[in-house]
Amino acid sequence: MSDLGITAHGLTKTFGGVCAVDGLSLSVAPGEIYGLLGPNGAGKTTALRMFAGLLRPTEGRIRVAGVDVAAAPNAAKARIGFLTGSTGLYARLSPRETLMFFGRLHGLPRARVAERIAELSRLLEIEPYLDRRAEGLSTGEKQRVSLARALMPDPPILILDEPTNGLDVVASRFLRALIRAEAARGKAIIFSTHYLAEAELMCDRVGLLFQGRLLREGVPRALRDEVGAPSLEEAFLLLVADEEARLVAADAASSGTATPP
Amino acid sequence: MNGTHVLLTLGKELRETLRDRRTLMVMVLFPVVVYPMLSLVMTQVMTEREKTQEARPSQVAVMGAGPVVEEIRRRLSADSKTFVLVPVAVPADVETGHVDAIVDGPTADVPARLSVLYDASRDESRRAEQRLSKLLGEMLPEGCTPRFTVEGKDLASGAKLGGYVLSKALPALIILMVLLGAFYPAIDVTAGERERGTLETLLAAPVRRFDLLLGKVLAVTTLAVLTGLLNLLSMSITVLHALHLAAPEAVLPVPWTRVIATSLVVFPSGFLFAATFVAIGSMARGFKEAQNLLMPVYVLTLVPTLAAAVGDLDLRGMVALVPGMNVTLLAREIILGRATIGQVLAVLGSTLVIGAVAVGFATRFYQSEHFIEVRARPRRLLRGPFYRASDSPRTGAPTAGEAMALYGVGFALLYFAFIPLQKRDLVTGLMLSQWGGLLGLAVLFARVTRRRLADVFGLSWPTGGAVVGAVLVGLSGGIVLTVLTEWVMPPPRQAMEELRRALLPQDGSRTLAEAILAFAITPALCEEAFFRGPILRGLRGRLGATGAIVVTGALFGLFHIDVWRIVPTGLLGVLLSFLAWRTGSLVPAIIAHGVNNALVLVLTAKGADQSIEVMGRRPQAAVLAGGCAVLALGLLLITRGPRPQGEV
Repeated sequence: MSDLGITAHGLTKTFGGVCAVDGLSLSVAPGEIYGLLGPNGAGKTTALRMFAGLLRPTEGRIRVAGVDVAAAPNAAKARIGFLTGSTGLYARLSPRETLMFFGRLHGLPRARVAERIAELSRLLEIEPYLDRRAEGLSTGEKQRVSLARALMPDPPILILDEPTNGLDVVASRFLRALIRAEAARGKAIIFSTHYLAEAELMCDRVGLLFQGRLLREGVPRALRDEVGAPSLEEAFLLLVADEEARLVAADAASSGTATPP
Repeated sequence: MNGTHVLLTLGKELRETLRDRRTLMVMVLFPVVVYPMLSLVMTQVMTEREKTQEARPSQVAVMGAGPVVEEIRRRLSADSKTFVLVPVAVPADVETGHVDAIVDGPTADVPARLSVLYDASRDESRRAEQRLSKLLGEMLPEGCTPRFTVEGKDLASGAKLGGYVLSKALPALIILMVLLGAFYPAIDVTAGERERGTLETLLAAPVRRFDLLLGKVLAVTTLAVLTGLLNLLSMSITVLHALHLAAPEAVLPVPWTRVIATSLVVFPSGFLFAATFVAIGSMARGFKEAQNLLMPVYVLTLVPTLAAAVGDLDLRGMVALVPGMNVTLLAREIILGRATIGQVLAVLGSTLVIGAVAVGFATRFYQSEHFIEVRARPRRLLRGPFYRASDSPRTGAPTAGEAMALYGVGFALLYFAFIPLQKRDLVTGLMLSQWGGLLGLAVLFARVTRRRLADVFGLSWPTGGAVVGAVLVGLSGGIVLTVLTEWVMPPPRQAMEELRRALLPQDGSRTLAEAILAFAITPALCEEAFFRGPILRGLRGRLGATGAIVVTGALFGLFHIDVWRIVPTGLLGVLLSFLAWRTGSLVPAIIAHGVNNALVLVLTAKGADQSIEVMGRRPQAAVLAGGCAVLALGLLLITRGPRPQGEV
């Protein structure tokens, strides 16, 4: 596996005794789209925040684009485009001002940021509202601006946490096409979603996260075939049900009760 | 520090907040619209009143008999524009308002008396008295020539008078406006950013947190300073305008150079308030919470500011270090033209240091981990049908909110119940206050919140090294602090003397052993259980170890309700909090506290309690060096033990 993508080893995060992510290891190669799937509360967001250098792992190491996140957080952040479905925009600033601010924070010279704004606003079709205050924009429009913000420094790594959350069909489709195009340009992309159909459509590989642990990992088709389910969603439900049954059995065994046959 | 990042953040925050109506209202509307409007309304009302009063003749009566009285009556009748002569009146008529004033002239019994009866609480009556006095003053017995003339001369120069009037009102008002100017922007750039969902994105950018915070603090500083300056200007004009209306004859030129010099205090106070408010706003998860946290701080800052405005304090010693109070007093000194370079440097220095510490804390608090909602999800999916969370006692240390509430209750009890009791009988009051108001209260807290005592107090046995270290800290900490206090802000010797005499009366009515039991062992047990137990452990969850140690120390200092002892006891509290945190046990803090208090009592019994204060600089330096060495050895022994759980 190339060191230029994302690699994580034995990633664990606990919050006051509650374990949110438990020994997660995975890797994403440049040009690859990796889908992190799982029910609400599985630890997807916590994992992605650790990848983006926002949370410090309790244990484990992460490298992005050849940089150790814990050792050099700012060097790592400079190589990451980070976007979540709940990302807000500065309501009283225009998209252009927001993009300028973040471009300059990433160390790009003013002229280069202006160039990138022109490129990205064409690509993302945000020109019509580039100079309006963000508070008046629709959810879809805001998410396009946020994506432009994440792509501003043209980072080799994209970390997207449920980026299509709350978007309509047209907007999600547009966003998916764009993400695929960025992967084709050689970016390593990890993104989380709970729309399994969406993951099946666009991911090269998926990982199934449940209660903080990686249950299964692989190419969507192979996972489906392994369980013998018609869709990734069915496969997902079967795998989760199996795991729950196993946990209940283990729980009963550990508390000393006889397990019913 | 990356200057570009700081400036970028500053620019972005300014642009954003200046587009916010609320900020603009406070910053611009008040000084530019509200004051002048108030002044305009005042002007109109006052001029109207002045005019009607001027036009209205005074109703006067003259009592008595004789040629002088006749002459007064004649003159009054002649000036019908100013006076209406009422034929008969009694003094009661002045009070009821039927007559404005009465001239009580000579009678056959008292030929040489002339007085004017008037009611000073009525404008009309006061005016009548003025008019009468003028008229009577002009009357000279026939054939007399004046030997001298009398004219009023105000010795205060116009600038001095104007400065005096401004010095009373202006400083506190300006500081209040700077405070207000910092309030909303500080919430907006911290909790607002968090609430709007933009913080995560900002923290994901390759920027140091300190740079972000500094940019934010500078943006809030700019807004607070602008608010202060606009208010300073507008208020100076308005106040003087109003004064001019009230007393048109008094010329009150504005000491403009001094008003401009006063703007000097706006900058450090703006920075101080901005840094403090941003630090506190950084802890809040949302706008509401930030407001709730900032309001008490706002009020707490108001108190010293207003005290400085109202009281007759000198800008010296400790006073120069009290935030809010020092800048207010410096503003007064500057307006009166009395400020010295030393005062300016002391105030600027202390303000900037406190502000810088606040920025440091803000950087610590501004952690992304705060926006993670931790759902108390059991590790395993199912715990069986009989599992009920409420059946088990709550585990874990108290929360920060509980710690502050507990402190509030303890403080109120101390102030309203135990201090009055201690004034009646020192030992009884102290025993009740310590065992009931501190230890008892903390145990009650554990019972009410259904926590185990071990979780609330952190009960565990320290290592042998920690115990020895605690003894050394107890022996040296107080001495080091005494020398430092003596150098930086010496307390009045008499007050300290009285305190020690109260603990150990010279008449021998209390033995040393009794005093040690009452004033060393008791407070060591009870105060440590209260402060280094639930308070320190509660604050740690929110503030982190360093923040909790410092704040617990400060709360401990404040609890002694003695201006001169706040800082030294606060620092001692920080030391004791560190001991409790580092060893994970109350015992070392109890030992150090007990040894420290006992040492003071023993020295007092030997009559050597003042020896450090009077020995002079050079021996003091030697004592300080020795004390520091012992203290360092003690702390070394403490820090050699195992690290507290859960700390990196």
